[in-house]
Amino acid sequence: MPLSITETNLRNLIDLLVQASKLVVGPKLSEAIVLYQPLTSGAELTLDSIPRRSAKELYFPVCEDILNFKKENGKVQVEDIDRSRFPETVLIGAPPCDAGSPAILDAVFSWDYHDDFYQERRKKSTIIGIACTKGDDACFCTAVGLAPDAQAGSDLFLTPLAGGSYACVAVTEKGTTLIEAHSSLFSEGPVGEVIPFLDQSTGKLDLPKIKAWLEGHFEDPLWEGIADICIGCGACAFICPACHCFDINDEGSPDSGARRKHWDACGFSKFTNHASGHNPRDIQNKRYRNRIMHKFKYYDDKFGKTLCTGCGRCIRVCPVGIDIAEILTTINSKSD
Amino acid sequence: MHAEKTSHDFEPKIIAFVCTWCTYAGADLAGTSRMQYPSNVRVLKFPCTGRIDPVFILRAFQKGADGVLVSGCHPGDCHYMAGNFHARRRFAAFRALLGFVGVDLQRLQFSWVSAAEGGKWVEVVTELTERVRAMGPMTEFKSLETEEQWSGALTTPELREAFDSID
Amino acid sequence: MKTKAEKIRAASIDPAYYQAVTEAIRTQAVKLLTEETVVAVVGYFLGRRQGTAIPALVTTPEQAEKLIFSPACVNNLTLFLTKAKKGVLKKGRVAIIAKGCDMRALAGLMGESQVKREEIFTIGIACAGVFGSGADRTGNLSEANIARKCRECSVHLPEGADLLVGTLPELSELTPLEAEEMARIEALPQAERWAFWKEHFTRCIRCMACRQVCPFCYCEQCLCDKNRPQAVESSPRPAGNMAWHIVRAMHLAGRCGGCAECERVCPMDIPLNLLNRRMAQELKELYDYEASTTPQGKGPLARYQEDDDESFIK
Repeated sequence: MPLSITETNLRNLIDLLVQASKLVVGPKLSEAIVLYQPLTSGAELTLDSIPRRSAKELYFPVCEDILNFKKENGKVQVEDIDRSRFPETVLIGAPPCDAGSPAILDAVFSWDYHDDFYQERRKKSTIIGIACTKGDDACFCTAVGLAPDAQAGSDLFLTPLAGGSYACVAVTEKGTTLIEAHSSLFSEGPVGEVIPFLDQSTGKLDLPKIKAWLEGHFEDPLWEGIADICIGCGACAFICPACHCFDINDEGSPDSGARRKHWDACGFSKFTNHASGHNPRDIQNKRYRNRIMHKFKYYDDKFGKTLCTGCGRCIRVCPVGIDIAEILTTINSKSD
Repeated sequence: MHAEKTSHDFEPKIIAFVCTWCTYAGADLAGTSRMQYPSNVRVLKFPCTGRIDPVFILRAFQKGADGVLVSGCHPGDCHYMAGNFHARRRFAAFRALLGFVGVDLQRLQFSWVSAAEGGKWVEVVTELTERVRAMGPMTEFKSLETEEQWSGALTTPELREAFDSID
Repeated sequence: MKTKAEKIRAASIDPAYYQAVTEAIRTQAVKLLTEETVVAVVGYFLGRRQGTAIPALVTTPEQAEKLIFSPACVNNLTLFLTKAKKGVLKKGRVAIIAKGCDMRALAGLMGESQVKREEIFTIGIACAGVFGSGADRTGNLSEANIARKCRECSVHLPEGADLLVGTLPELSELTPLEAEEMARIEALPQAERWAFWKEHFTRCIRCMACRQVCPFCYCEQCLCDKNRPQAVESSPRPAGNMAWHIVRAMHLAGRCGGCAECERVCPMDIPLNLLNRRMAQELKELYDYEASTTPQGKGPLARYQEDDDESFIK
């Protein structure tokens, strides 16, 4: 039986979850930009534009302590982070390009090292995804195999309807549990008309073909053309739902401090700097090439997935307007 | 003769960045002359005020200083000729920046103290110490240190307990 | 004598003006490359998305035919002449398309001996303004979508260019939003000013786009990347972020040309130009220094006068 929820009840759901001491995260206006942030009430939810950063910070925080240390009586005490203190989280209002990212990242965070920090947060989170009616000409989720109404990654999926309500589908058990816990907010009955999705300007990409081209063109003039203008900041990597590189630093004083894990970007000039001083990716060409290779070849080689959800944020945010969708389309159209 | 040392609730931490040739010598003179002044000041010796990078002042505040004093030779007397002239411009700019960002400039004092001015050193340090004492501890940077990005923050035990008690 | 039609304040800038500038740039660039006066022209190409333009480093007359100028030409191309982009352009004289704000950066770099005057051919633009970041770029340039910095521009017709192209259309007087915001913040009590900046810096993720896009951040080893000793924490927590932005603003004092690229590229929309503007204001007041489109030699913090203000020093 199809389910639906009104906008009012959606906001009520948030209030109830907040009262139940869950960490409720959703798009919220913060000084004129929309970001995924903890919500204190349903009224704060803003669904009229895509958040500036992705939702990956739910499991992959911008910055988190991974251990604390303190020097007492000449001895150093090391204290691990109590994972049970990770909050139970409900993410609400994630479009498929954001909801789909844990499905891609799960593999790398449980590969050669079981990253507890990521995994524990994942276990404790529920995602309420929402179909996207707010795309623009930077979006290309359909080109990389996703869609504005793709349910992958969501526990509960909402589709905006003409009239202001949302059709709801429980995609996983967590979703079913959530609905059952708040059944009074949902109504059964025929769903209304779905709001049409935006036609994306980037055509469908043949990802295997692109991967094959990348395999054979490690040295190609294409890389210089793009990387000449790349300025080597981390904007594209940081706001990307799929990028997951991090750095670990010890900070504090000799007496006390913490070891911190925080976002890093392969675009930074010292990203591959070795202790010897040798830097394999010493020029921007090599660094930008690595970005594309990692996303569309290496990750697929290792985990069978493309490291991109087509959200288009990197295109919008790039200081020099580098357009990954355009680059992929160019590669896609190459005959050799 | 030692003055009565009154006890206070709050003992401010004052960091003083001073130049070797003038202010440090002046402070030394104050010491050898047995002049009494608050012991809250921690002195850091630099060859010249021109060597004092504004980032040191920032770092002092970040690491818990309640007040910062920067002191050097009078203009024209710099051991390195022009170090304090450059410093003067640099500090004027940095002061404006800190003020704009919301730091209370009453906590930051600049002075020229020569090697002969033991008395002035005492005056400057005492004034700054008492002024900062009246203002209370500097909380801005210290409380900032405790802030996390929401995504890295952990729930407090109290919150967890409250959550667990809900069925 | 101006006709009535010309006197009417343009609600939006006529695209014909941009077309004329584009034509002039193409003609010049092709000429310079064909005659081998320069080895490269740094300009703009059209971007794929509507209302976008990207930096272009052209080395042949064929490529030069594709250069454009539009309100989407936001980038400060001077960046591509600095050490940060060393090795990208061939050795030799280079032509650069520069708006007034970009020319201030170029002049500053010349003053710091980063760029040699004789190695640059400046094609200055009589610039009506560019799009603001996040603005609606579907229509013409108008008050609704113009960049905040352009509202107070005093260098629509920059001096000192080797060649100035374009005829400036009639420009409206626009409310100086940035100056108003500056005044508002300065009038706030100290605690509220701290809260304002703390709120902004908490959003900072240390992507370093502000540093990477700045023509004056050309240090091969940034102080804030050093960890022995560490001056500024590298993790993106509010404390480290506050320190980062304070240090950067201080390092730019007296050098920043006011192109506001830092503010434009910030993915978190932090109003970074306010910090640089405050420094510029202070240095104007104290030492009568202002960034200019013509090289001035050493900046105010690399010079001194014996009678400099010391009212704040005991």
